[in-house]
Amino acid sequence: MNQQRRVAVTGLGLISPFGGDLNDFFARLLAGESAVSFLRTDDVPRPLAMPFVRCQHFDADAALGRPLAGMMDRFTQLGTAAAFAAWEDAGFSRGQPPKQLENWGVSWGTALGGTHAYEHGLREMWKNGKQRLPPMSVVLGMNNACASHIAIKLGLGASCMTYSIACASAATAIGEGFKKIQQGESDLMVVGGSDNPLLYGVFRAWEAMRVLSPGNAETAANACRPFDSARSGLVLGEGAAALILEDWEHAVKRGAPIICELGGYGANCDHQNLVRPDQAGQIKAINMALANADMQLTDVGYINAHGTATLEGDPIEISAIREVFGSHAPKLPVSATKSSHGHLMGASGAIEAAITVLALSQDALPPTANLTNIDPKCEGVMHIRGQSIKNTNLKGAISNCFAFGGSNAVLAFKKTH
Amino acid sequence: MDSLTLIREFLENRLGVSPELVVAEAPLNDLGIDSLMMLELMFEFEDRFGITLAKGLKSPKTVGEMVALMDRLRSEQS
Repeated sequence: MNQQRRVAVTGLGLISPFGGDLNDFFARLLAGESAVSFLRTDDVPRPLAMPFVRCQHFDADAALGRPLAGMMDRFTQLGTAAAFAAWEDAGFSRGQPPKQLENWGVSWGTALGGTHAYEHGLREMWKNGKQRLPPMSVVLGMNNACASHIAIKLGLGASCMTYSIACASAATAIGEGFKKIQQGESDLMVVGGSDNPLLYGVFRAWEAMRVLSPGNAETAANACRPFDSARSGLVLGEGAAALILEDWEHAVKRGAPIICELGGYGANCDHQNLVRPDQAGQIKAINMALANADMQLTDVGYINAHGTATLEGDPIEISAIREVFGSHAPKLPVSATKSSHGHLMGASGAIEAAITVLALSQDALPPTANLTNIDPKCEGVMHIRGQSIKNTNLKGAISNCFAFGGSNAVLAFKKTH
Repeated sequence: MDSLTLIREFLENRLGVSPELVVAEAPLNDLGIDSLMMLELMFEFEDRFGITLAKGLKSPKTVGEMVALMDRLRSEQS
């Protein structure tokens, strides 16, 4: 078997729900700030009223130009803008017409894709008596729209793939893009994910599932409390993040800014239950990622947990971590940053991968915001709470994503030496 | 609303094209109307004037041709 190639992370981009740039976003996370606010829509007769994370400062026309933004659903606007930011962070510029880069590709994750285009169209028909949907709805609503726009605008001629695996969508997209470089198929991949769950039907369905945390204008910021005894469920959010993954030698040769290494990826399926996660499946996925990265247990100095703040999910994940890491677990810093940026559905794995990369590059670990009293069922790891932990001589970190449907995806990052 | 105004409004809203560029001899393609945008423009025209365009309709190439087509269809309807 051929020696597998090393994969460098050479660019990061995201749409910050706080409105600032990448460094501002991470600084706020380190401070334990929450981007969750109370959202009330004007839907009649029953408006949505819930804690939510909105990228309210994002101006699609300014970021993408009116003609392009007008051809995109919001998940594509957010995703393409994040991909452009990562592209520029990796030292590339966007020229017109783009160079055709036949060996470079896109691997994108989204759970809901362009659902908004159809929900909007249905509203127009049922509420306003329209007879049909605009033709653009087809290309707004297709789930691969974001990946395709990125490929077209950046001129990426290799694979253009979209993965839709619920909450593990983006982590899977990143992992599958990583494999294409590791195995020599591509030299560079634009990877990440985007989602916009602000949809009437989607929200009402999650509400009916009884896993959304309640809140009002005063309490919304503290609505998501992973691992806490008083946790009350997840908070939905919109957003996007992108990474540039690159063959290590390729990156070195062009003098790219190497941020860290993506060393390994583990993905599997619990094959047990659609909604109840299975500890055995999670253990396998973590071990697969560590083996793929050739990392020892003690090489892992931080875990960005899936941690959605549901009653059932959190203890199972901590139990899996305890099982994998054994005597290292009590000293292993863990945080669930969904408490700050919300649950971005299919984009979660992308924003959390970006956070894990930033943690490694800055040797700073963000806390789980709002974590006051650790649920005894979630004990056994070093929970980061209150404030960040800095200068731990961090060598490696993993990011967990465990999806409805039983699909698990774990990414293992290593510090650059 | 006359047909030229509808085209101008569409191009300004969707593509940010200044109305003064939307003149009779301007090729639609140069203004950013590709096949997908043409479908959207025809959809908007149909909606606005309650007209159904025949499927096999030949696509106009310039703003002037588009205006002539829209005017003809509207006069046939009235």
